[in-house]
Amino acid sequence: MNIAVCVKRIPKTAEADIFIEKDGSDIKKDHLVFYLNDWDGYAVREAALLKEKHGGEVTVITVGPEEAKEVLTRCLAMGADRALRIEEPPTQDSYLIAKILSRAIKNQAFDLLLLGVQAEDDNCGQVGVSLAQMLGLPHAAIVNHIEIEGDKAKVRRELEGGIEELTELKLPAVLTIQTGINEPKYVSLAALLEAEDKEIKDLGMEELGLTLSESVDTKIDQVFFPPVGKMAEILKGNPEEVVTQLTEIIKKKKG
Amino acid sequence: MKIDPKTFIQDYLLNICIQCGTCTGGCPVKFRSPLNMRRLVRQTYITNDPSPLFKSPELWACTTCSNCSLRCPAGVKNVELIMAIRNLLANQGEVPSTIRDALENTFLQGNPWGRFRDRRADWAKELGVKILGEAASETLLYVGCAPSYDPRVQNVSTALVKIFQKADLDFGILGKKESCCGNEIRRMGEQALFKKLTKDNTNLFKKSGIKRIITISPHCYNTFKNEYPDLTIPVQHYTQVIADLMETGKLKLSKALDLRTTYQDPCFLGKQNLVFDEPRKILTFIPGLEFVEMERSRQRSLCCEGGGGRMWAEGGTEGTRNGEIRVKEAVALGAKVMATACPFCLLTLEDAVKISGLTSEIVIKDISELVAEAIDENPITKFQAPNNHQ
Amino acid sequence: MGEIFVLVEHRQGKIRDITYEMLQLGERLASPQGTLSTAVLLGHNVKNFAEELTTKASKVLVVEDAQLEHFNSVHYQKVLSSLIAKYQPPLTLIGHTAFGMDLAPSLAVEMEFPLVTDCIDLSFEESRLKAVRSIYGGKVNAKVSLKESKGYVATVRPGVFSPGAPGEKKGGMVMEPSPLQEMIDVKKFIEYIEAPITGEDITQAEIIVSVGQGIGGPEHIPMIEEVAKSLGGVIACSRPVVDRNWLPKERQVGISGKTVKPKVYIAIGISGAFQHVTAMQGSDTIIAINKDARAPIFGVADYGIVDDFQNVIPILKEKAKGMK
Ligand SMILES: Cc1cc2nc3c(=O)[nH]c(=O)nc-3n(C[C@H](O)[C@H](O)[C@H](O)COP(=O)(O)OP(=O)(O)OC[C@H]3O[C@@H](n4cnc5c(N)ncnc54)[C@H](O)[C@@H]3O)c2cc1C
Ligand code: SF4
Ligand code: SF4
Repeated sequence: MNIAVCVKRIPKTAEADIFIEKDGSDIKKDHLVFYLNDWDGYAVREAALLKEKHGGEVTVITVGPEEAKEVLTRCLAMGADRALRIEEPPTQDSYLIAKILSRAIKNQAFDLLLLGVQAEDDNCGQVGVSLAQMLGLPHAAIVNHIEIEGDKAKVRRELEGGIEELTELKLPAVLTIQTGINEPKYVSLAALLEAEDKEIKDLGMEELGLTLSESVDTKIDQVFFPPVGKMAEILKGNPEEVVTQLTEIIKKKKG
Repeated sequence: MKIDPKTFIQDYLLNICIQCGTCTGGCPVKFRSPLNMRRLVRQTYITNDPSPLFKSPELWACTTCSNCSLRCPAGVKNVELIMAIRNLLANQGEVPSTIRDALENTFLQGNPWGRFRDRRADWAKELGVKILGEAASETLLYVGCAPSYDPRVQNVSTALVKIFQKADLDFGILGKKESCCGNEIRRMGEQALFKKLTKDNTNLFKKSGIKRIITISPHCYNTFKNEYPDLTIPVQHYTQVIADLMETGKLKLSKALDLRTTYQDPCFLGKQNLVFDEPRKILTFIPGLEFVEMERSRQRSLCCEGGGGRMWAEGGTEGTRNGEIRVKEAVALGAKVMATACPFCLLTLEDAVKISGLTSEIVIKDISELVAEAIDENPITKFQAPNNHQ
Repeated sequence: MGEIFVLVEHRQGKIRDITYEMLQLGERLASPQGTLSTAVLLGHNVKNFAEELTTKASKVLVVEDAQLEHFNSVHYQKVLSSLIAKYQPPLTLIGHTAFGMDLAPSLAVEMEFPLVTDCIDLSFEESRLKAVRSIYGGKVNAKVSLKESKGYVATVRPGVFSPGAPGEKKGGMVMEPSPLQEMIDVKKFIEYIEAPITGEDITQAEIIVSVGQGIGGPEHIPMIEEVAKSLGGVIACSRPVVDRNWLPKERQVGISGKTVKPKVYIAIGISGAFQHVTAMQGSDTIIAINKDARAPIFGVADYGIVDDFQNVIPILKEKAKGMK
């Protein structure tokens, strides 16, 4: 069973202070740390688990800057066998990313393509299912369980309200992986250092028959802080005072 | 995994064990987990493949207090053995999930809680502290992770700043350039990450042109002093510095604290580095303070269970925590305050006070907080002593 | 120009709320363009739905087929693409839901239409579609423009647009023959799996104290659980807390967990991702404790505390004693 996993390097923003670039094109990223997109981490781990069970090879692919090799190295340490980085186009657009990936993957004999449900930064949730269509493969989005049975995959898709949908797909197929599908494993620095010796292939857009000025479907005009509409009333004072107000509110509201 | 037990036998001197059981006898978690050091040494020695042995969850119960190795009459390197086993496990990714998060966070943000690196010095923002690189000083106050980020322990950092400023001690901090010291990282088994931290920190210290390092946590103190191969800058724990400031008359305390106070020796300060006297000197120097010694003190002090990565490892132990036992011992002595000089002791003991419902009987304070309170009438501590203090 | 398509989402005999939200949005977008909106209903034995929808949309297009009984993206895509080819809608709206996320991207690629996902606002400038999306976990918004095209696909974030009030019967119903012929076997729906209810049923609680990834680790859970108990409530959580095994799945609030509407909802260390917020914003009173003043959760909360929870919760624990 040969598996390809498409991954992305993203900046961690949940804990960070956010500033917007002067031209409004994006947020400032110099002070942020970058990591493997959470969802993709689960996808790579799932690929490694499937490999343990069914044999085969795992290839990880990213479209990103030179620095994105960091996350590929991490994936190699997590159990991937081969890694490919494709040069990043000047404009970020999910459609274009899917197109680049489809060019790179076409004509390669993969049984399964795994991607994260979405990326933590743009929250698009679009690349995996677009890629499936471009390659003419069946797909399932938001998968939290995979069972391989011969040339079929039985997968559970996570729906709203705690309900799941059991779906059967013919392989090869594309799945987008939901967090929690498995237990992530620790990747030690020793394992990372060892993985640094493994080769990471580099590919330019031209080599895929694309140009750097490839047209895009969407373009960000401007990034801005969400308007403060109805904002919470912020309780003021030292912790002691704040909690006193808080308990008053709770008493009143719980009736 | 296939492990050659021979390397373990050689490296940690398992062959010289006389099976006397002293190690297990002095182990603070012996009643709280199946961990049995004597047996572990024996079993690792006789087996051909120790890998099944290394799967037992109780290996994560060890607090690396070092009682076992310090007391072993033969000189077996027990704690090093535990750390080596954990290193094997970490390299295979087989660590408890909370430890995994702590290690990943340290790799990414330089602290085990994954707090944003840039916020590391937020606690010091309004205290007028020099940031090395922006201003020069020969003395570095190495703050450490818990004193930087944990709101309870930040109080200790603030107290120290106040004390040093009062004593006109010129010092600086590294600000957001500071990273984890790695003491706990090494003890959780991540040797490679520990090595990277030693290298990065040593280079940073050298570049900053400092002549001495003061640490808040005994854990940082321990690793800088004993485990950083290329660090030649002298390291002191803050209790040593304050004791000195008092003896040389540079720090004077004007306010009396009429409190019956006892002291918990942190393992990494006391038994592992033999700093026993300075904390006691400070306590007896505080006007009005009545110092009482617990039955088990100094070398025989009972570990609070906060070390060795235990701050991040859930489970593996059951029954009454040592912290609770310790707090009850202090209450029985009639102490109103239990002082300590370690962030982890502070947190685990304070937790124990709450769990045992003794909040109206005793408070846990870091020595620095008591000193800062005794400096003047203007206490900065957010956590007040229990009501019956007056 | 054709009418704007709104794809009706239904599951297990119920039209889902997002449908009504999108119908309202569809009407709003259609009128300045001089057009109308069409509800597109695919299913099996769905006449009763169609009746209901005629009060909300100018027209209801219905395709009946036994193969459309349960959602299967392959079937849906096939039917939709033939309808789009026939009716030429300038825009097709689909929910940004488990259903829409499995369908919209492949449909857009097949039609060669630009797609924009998870929109919190949409507008036409001339004939070009513009969208507002929430990115970086809700910390900032982005205004996005799509390239010129004769048709667009957009997925709409649930819970953002208010559903219109039921009105007069507006439009008629148009039956379209199903283009599905032979069975498609690359993707098969098998069954729904409902998680058995075990342990505490958080949906019944009047007070919920909910924790997120921001609490840093499971060690703080006992303290927070005690607060919940003292207040006469239960502890719940965001999804990452379940992913990390700090609390069991039945405690999860969110679109893929439980929807809750307690009297008081206290969110501790939860950033306020929409997948979480949609399922708790019906609570009477929401209180957020988060150390980041910019966290999106403060946009839905009634009261906020901007501080580290560790400064607040220990005090609350003491004060909450006996408040039940
Ligand atoms: C298909 C799909 C379904 C999903 N379903 C759900 C769902 O059902 N439920 C759900 O919750 N999520 C769901 N998600 C995930 C969702 O997108 C978010 O990732 C998740 O809700 C974030 O959880 P969080 O707020 O706990 O963590 P984070 O986003 O990491 O936020 C942590 C917050 O804690 C704050 N914080 C940190 N430290 C402290 C401190 N010491 N004191 C106070 N505050 C602190 C930070 O400022 C931050 O705001 C789903 C995602 C997808 C794609
Ligand atoms: S104390 Fe030393 S000699 Fe005695 S059993 Fe333990 S390891 Fe062996
Ligand atoms: S280091 Fe301490 S806790 Fe660990 S085995 Fe030795 S005595 Fe026990």
